[in-house]
Amino acid sequence: MMRFLFAPLALCAGLVLSGHGLAAELPQRWVSAGGALSEWISALGGEAHLVGVDTTSQHPPSLKALPSVGYQRQLSAEGILSLRPDVLVGTEEMGPPPVLTQIRKAGVQVELFSSKAEVQAVDQNLARLGQLLGAQAQAQALAANYRQQLDALHAQVRDAQAERPAPGVLLLVGHAGAKPLVAGQGTAGDWVLTQAGGRNLAEHQGYKNFSNETLAALDPDVIVFSDRALADEQALQALLKENPALAASRAVREKRLVSLDPTLLVGGLGPRLPSTLQALATSFYPATPTPSNP
Amino acid sequence: MLQVEGLYLRRGNQPVLHGIDLQLLPGQVVGVLGPNGAGKSSLLSVLCGELQPDRGHVTLQGRALGDWPGQARAQRLAVLPQVASLDFAFRVDEVVAMGRLPHATGQRRDAQIVEAALQAADALHLLDRSYLALSGGERQRVHLARVLAQLWPGQDGATLLLDEPTSMLDPLHQHTTLDAVRRFADQGAAVLVILHDLNLAARYCDRILLLEQGRCHAFSTPQAVLTPAALKAVYGIDVLVQAHPERGHPLIIAR
Amino acid sequence: MRPRVRPRTLFVCLGGLCLLSVWLSLALGPVSLPLLDTLRAGLRLLGLPIAEDGLQQAQMILGQIRVPRTLLGLAVGAVLALSGVAMQGLFRNPLADPGLVGVAAGAAVGAAVAIVGGSWLGGMPEALAPYLLSLCAFLGGLAVTALVYRLGRRDGQTSVATMLLAGVAMTALGGAAVGLFSYLADDATLRTLTFWNLGSLNGASYERVWPLLLVAVAVAAWLPRRAGALNALLLGESEARHLGIDVERLKRELVFCTALGVGAAVAAAGLIGFVGLVVPHLVRLLAGPDHRVVLPASLLAGGVLMLLADLVARLLLAPAELPIGIVTAFIGAPFFLVLLIRGRT
Repeated sequence: MMRFLFAPLALCAGLVLSGHGLAAELPQRWVSAGGALSEWISALGGEAHLVGVDTTSQHPPSLKALPSVGYQRQLSAEGILSLRPDVLVGTEEMGPPPVLTQIRKAGVQVELFSSKAEVQAVDQNLARLGQLLGAQAQAQALAANYRQQLDALHAQVRDAQAERPAPGVLLLVGHAGAKPLVAGQGTAGDWVLTQAGGRNLAEHQGYKNFSNETLAALDPDVIVFSDRALADEQALQALLKENPALAASRAVREKRLVSLDPTLLVGGLGPRLPSTLQALATSFYPATPTPSNP
Repeated sequence: MLQVEGLYLRRGNQPVLHGIDLQLLPGQVVGVLGPNGAGKSSLLSVLCGELQPDRGHVTLQGRALGDWPGQARAQRLAVLPQVASLDFAFRVDEVVAMGRLPHATGQRRDAQIVEAALQAADALHLLDRSYLALSGGERQRVHLARVLAQLWPGQDGATLLLDEPTSMLDPLHQHTTLDAVRRFADQGAAVLVILHDLNLAARYCDRILLLEQGRCHAFSTPQAVLTPAALKAVYGIDVLVQAHPERGHPLIIAR
Repeated sequence: MRPRVRPRTLFVCLGGLCLLSVWLSLALGPVSLPLLDTLRAGLRLLGLPIAEDGLQQAQMILGQIRVPRTLLGLAVGAVLALSGVAMQGLFRNPLADPGLVGVAAGAAVGAAVAIVGGSWLGGMPEALAPYLLSLCAFLGGLAVTALVYRLGRRDGQTSVATMLLAGVAMTALGGAAVGLFSYLADDATLRTLTFWNLGSLNGASYERVWPLLLVAVAVAAWLPRRAGALNALLLGESEARHLGIDVERLKRELVFCTALGVGAAVAAAGLIGFVGLVVPHLVRLLAGPDHRVVLPASLLAGGVLMLLADLVARLLLAPAELPIGIVTAFIGAPFFLVLLIRGRT
């Protein structure tokens, strides 16, 4: 409706300004191309505005009913335009760039958010999302709460580490157990492990395959596993079956294996992270008195 | 007219051809005979420019073979290889029409020539068959028609080199093919043909070059070359030579 | 023999199909536009004086998205099909593929260098990234093809058999190099690389289409002039020489056209398989192997196949889209198998 009224004006002002004409009004139809962003939008009560999400948007599960715009790096300009969105939100991983240019040219607002694993990024992302949704106060509250939870976690980890050394941890990301990738330095997985007070034994960059022997030699105290195909117990069985060398590690002998939802590892920090970190920290330092879960 | 003087060719350190002098004259069919490995195919390769001789030179109408531009040379010199490989389903007339590539005589004239050349090679009935569906002998005749078309009508100045054009043919087509070659020469073309069959050579050639280990054993008329002594010396076979009862050319009979 | 389609009939049919697929490619997409709007916007884009009211969206979708995409599809399909004809002629084998001389492998390595290397340097400038990727892919394809050609040369002659083997070896080497880059790449980069390898017409823009269009026009203008020579080459190299063809020059031209064409196509749209193999083959089945027909018919049929495959790619999972390389391979591979089975009888 607004677009229709503004059209002649936008025409006079040229293509560049056509987006500005809408900025005064809040965008009503949203396409989100980022898992964590979609979760935040839902947490801010904006789920009803979403008309399409990408394949990384898996939470809350109700999002799966929405039209899928494909993988965040391979968006289709016309596909997205066919959903008649007012705004496209995504992280800086979103692309390809020429498609974003086309979408912008069609007068759709394109909002880029940070996918960095930093609390500051969460603050900024939430502030902007709140602005766009007209839910600033709610966004502020969520951000404050997020920071609080992480602060509490840090304090808890500090206390625990004062008493005993940080456990050596490996994060294995696999598909039905076979040939798991080990999360190295600089990955979102590494950030998660470190936040929860673990010491990542993998020193390489990125996600890499390890040989069975290397896995056994690292002898982790705790194994965190994240499987894209199977759920918790099944994934664990598959992992041990495919990687017999792990059986000798301290983690398996002492049954210190924790499963992690793989969707948490992509697309920046989402709302479910603090509780997950809390659970991880608890399994890293089991004797620590458990604070009540939020 | 193709001419070669003092030809010498080596492969590695082995001499393959030496001291060959040869002249292909308009209207003449020259047959090249010799046992396996005598250098017949090497000679043909040198004559058509595929191999560079180590000594001696080849001239086409008085001009060094290598100095001819490709197209002008192809208008005057055509070569029929022993086996041609073609794995695409061309129609027979299309294969023969490739012989007209060096010329710019127009589609209509080319179509007439293709037909005439096929007729000459006794292959006109194959005209719209697929090349791939032909037998070995039929293919050989189609390629003959192609090289005939390339030089058609075969007037003075055209030179045709044929490498065993009858190797896959039945007795009737051995004769029809060489008959066609003979008639082509009669129109003025100079022809060189490598043959294995002594009697075919005796019947259709004006002159015969008998090669022995890369050397010219004899180069003269069939009567002069195809003697029991020469054939014993070159092939190591004992033969009787008699005159053909009707035609008079030598008839070679193994003893 | 099986009756052939007469060249004139074939060209009329292919021309019609080409117009039809261009129209479909312009008229269909995830955004459904009223037919009349598409038509009017199209005429407006052509410069006809038609009132703009209510046409903004149609004009934007058509002008910014579908027209460049259609042009890209036509050019990529045409160039790949022509390169396929050139390679099948060069290798005198109807099952040869434009990738044989290593151009695709080289382009893939070039792209991997750009994608992975770029991520190591902390990401390329946003605006430059797509151009750099295309340039690296193009240069990679050209460099590897030049190397393969060089390896095939000895004593002033090019051995096609040696080139074929060198191409196979370079393709294996290229595969290993891409594998190594994939191994060294981080997760996100890996996904980009994977998708690039599947090819896509997505995000086509005029800036990306122009260079390819120029190459396509050049190749399409040049190769048909050599149709007779290509026919003669099928008889064998020495037979072609006896027919007055400068065979070395012809081989050089064929390799160069392929490297240029496939390099530019891959640079603009990623690796798209099977078009170069299947299209010339199909045309030959219909109209016989004469290059004077095969070349222009393949050009048209390549464009048609590409546009139709792209329609599937963009409509099947809309609003998401399928990499077009998947679609062409799904059409091409079974077709290839049918050819193999029929070829045995």
